[in-house]
Amino acid sequence: MNKFKVGLATSALVLVASTMTMVGPTAVGIASAGASPSQAPLNLANEQGTLWSCAFNPFVPSSLPYSFGLTYESLDFVNALESGKVTPWLASAYAWSNMNKTLTFTIRSGVKWSDGTPFSAADVAYTFNLLKKNSALDLNAVWSVLSSVTASGDKVTMNFKSAAVPYFYYVAGQVPIVPEHIWSKIANPVTNTISNPVGTGGYVMSKCSGENIKWTANPHYWQKGDAQIKVVNMPAFLSNNTCNEYLAQGQSAWGSQFIPSIQSSYVSKKSGNTYWFPPVANVALFPNLTVPGLNDAKVRLAISEAINRSLISQNGEYGYEPAASQTGIVSPTFKSWVSASAAKGLSASANTAKAAALLAADGYKKVNGVYTKGKIKLAFTLSTNGGYSDWIASMQVVSSELSNFGIKITLQTPAANTFYSNLYAGKYQLAYNAEAGGPTPFYEMRQWLYSKNSAPIGTAAASNWERYSSASTDALLNQYGTTTSAATQKSIVAKLENVMVTQAPVIPVLEEVDWFEYNATNISGFPTASNPYAQPGLYNQPDWGYVLDALKPKA
Amino acid sequence: MTVNFFIPRLMPGNPAESILGQFHGHINPSALKALEAAFGIGKHQNILISYFEYLRNSLTGNFGASFSQGGTPVATVIAHDLPWTLGLVGLSTILGFVFGTALGAIAAWRRGGRLDNVLPPSFIIISAFPYFWVGLLCIWFFSFTLNWLPYEGGFNQTSSPAFGDIMIHAILPAFTIVITSIGGWILTMRNNMITVVAEDYVKMARAKGLKNQRILWQYAGRNALLPNLTGFAMSLGFVISGAILVEDVFNYPGVGFLLLQAVNAEDYPLMQALFLLITVAVLIAIFCADVATAILDPRTRGGN
Repeated sequence: MNKFKVGLATSALVLVASTMTMVGPTAVGIASAGASPSQAPLNLANEQGTLWSCAFNPFVPSSLPYSFGLTYESLDFVNALESGKVTPWLASAYAWSNMNKTLTFTIRSGVKWSDGTPFSAADVAYTFNLLKKNSALDLNAVWSVLSSVTASGDKVTMNFKSAAVPYFYYVAGQVPIVPEHIWSKIANPVTNTISNPVGTGGYVMSKCSGENIKWTANPHYWQKGDAQIKVVNMPAFLSNNTCNEYLAQGQSAWGSQFIPSIQSSYVSKKSGNTYWFPPVANVALFPNLTVPGLNDAKVRLAISEAINRSLISQNGEYGYEPAASQTGIVSPTFKSWVSASAAKGLSASANTAKAAALLAADGYKKVNGVYTKGKIKLAFTLSTNGGYSDWIASMQVVSSELSNFGIKITLQTPAANTFYSNLYAGKYQLAYNAEAGGPTPFYEMRQWLYSKNSAPIGTAAASNWERYSSASTDALLNQYGTTTSAATQKSIVAKLENVMVTQAPVIPVLEEVDWFEYNATNISGFPTASNPYAQPGLYNQPDWGYVLDALKPKA
Repeated sequence: MTVNFFIPRLMPGNPAESILGQFHGHINPSALKALEAAFGIGKHQNILISYFEYLRNSLTGNFGASFSQGGTPVATVIAHDLPWTLGLVGLSTILGFVFGTALGAIAAWRRGGRLDNVLPPSFIIISAFPYFWVGLLCIWFFSFTLNWLPYEGGFNQTSSPAFGDIMIHAILPAFTIVITSIGGWILTMRNNMITVVAEDYVKMARAKGLKNQRILWQYAGRNALLPNLTGFAMSLGFVISGAILVEDVFNYPGVGFLLLQAVNAEDYPLMQALFLLITVAVLIAIFCADVATAILDPRTRGGN
């Protein structure tokens, strides 16, 4: 293209852009600005069903996904796909002391904020004390266990109220560190949208409109050789279909989409299109333990035995989400944590004979095709989020299987708001939902089983929705927090698995996966099954920023 | 305004639970407490105090920060989405009115003619279909069968959507609005015209030997238009609320789509502001219609 044409094209674009400022809803700049001519920008296919709000406050859930990981970094990177393997990030080292009640971080030197100001241990202490002052920002409730955070030299010392080993994941891996010199001048950090975020990360947000967010590589990034992709775009998608097509046609090399019939609608559309869906947590049936019938462990175990998890996986999820195990351990991700004795005799297909024997031994008899004992009739409602068609399909399989077996199920698919409100308040009988999980199986077990997470019926409980309470299980969960020994942790989890297979307080059905589609034709360094160095979903923070730093353009 | 405040709060659950649910699996459950603190939900927050705060803030034009959009001020959120809606639904409502009125006038002028036999009945049948159904039919025909037009969204996902691209995305939803709304205008205009054409002053105009075109538009059309004008202004006022269905069918960015999201996320401040916008838009439109009628029709000015 000769110079004249370039000039003409550019001025035409400027003209269009300036016309749009006056008449159209969008006022965005020229596509090619800032991009080096040799390297195409990386477009991300991240459908959120909304235009971007251009807010980047990393302590606000709706804007955290667009700032934590690539603009803001945490002290360490904790990899949930490798049982919590720790990689130093803003802290170069850490150590537990004082009976695992004190955690000392050595803060990395030579790191600069993207505005050029040097980063220091004072910023770390400032960030944590900011969360203490503003509980609305403390998304991980770290101050429920912390008692003080202080900085001295290049060390940051955190004191905990009691031994808090599992909280390392939250304090080191889930708290984005923000610059004191900017945040201390913000009048109200809870409501400030932080439209121009300054962080230590590999990418700087350079332009945001409702239609697209554009990041450019931080030229002063402290990890030399990282953040090699120069420009990253994240266009806004209002629906799955458009996003899936965009991804299939190769306009994006990285997406986190649920794509039906992925082989024909994605993989075969363009050479190099690949997917990998690593399981990370369970999607489970939560029986309300205050409901007669469901308060009986034998009934819950019978439900677990009577459902065909492989069939549910095929019919509800195209087989993308593998069958879960009653032990609660997600495989293959946490395979090394499976207790052989707990897993014995469990199968992904239905074992109705065993289920029937369990109920018979418990005194239940079939009356009109429904198991009954005295006044208790095994007939329940099962709620699932009406917004997730895949979950509804899965639960239709569960309903028909259980109803055929003799436990009558009425499927309810309320709107999301009603569903969550009832789930949290304990106003349901059986519900299908997933927990957040964490870098080891312990985290999900604790969310499921720790009695202090729960609340009386009618009051919202953020986890432990089934209202499980057992002193011995609580003791096990507390004991895990006092040890840094992997062997001891595994033996505690094995005991928790035993609770799961003998009492079935929660009935895992399928394994929730990270949706991850990628095309490595022009870019290398994506996580794979053989190198699972981070969670690959674009909605995993800080993982996606960590992956973005590691990606390399192919020459 | 009071209703706007209380209706959203009657929904089951609260915004903190709703956001926690939306981020299920990707956020620590202990965030619930932080979210409730951030949104001012909890036992110690008296609903009456929030109500009076809301009244005061609304009167001073401060609609607060949106819960679901990362704390962005509601006014900014709406200002970004409003042009999409006004552009698409506003323009197509006007187009529907202009075409419908013109066709209705011509049909009445040549009543019994070919145009009169075909147009009004066919458009009335189309306008009897629900909008979303016609929308889906158009999507199936023009996007999937003929593959001519994009079936959803307002723009192509590039770092800077071009103007022409936005236009192409607007064709299908706009076309659907026009063909479903045009029938009503044709029918009312035709009926008005038929009455007006029989009036003495039209006969007079003919007797004077004026050109047909001039009689049609300046004598008959102008008077027949008056009753339609109020209806038109009302429909302009309903552009924003009518946009919900349009934007949902075509996944089109705009205030209708935004309202749907606000409801799903129980974003109280955003919902309140959008409800207020809808109400105010209708009131302003009716006011404008009254003013226009007064200008066009000397009889309504009354007085001496």
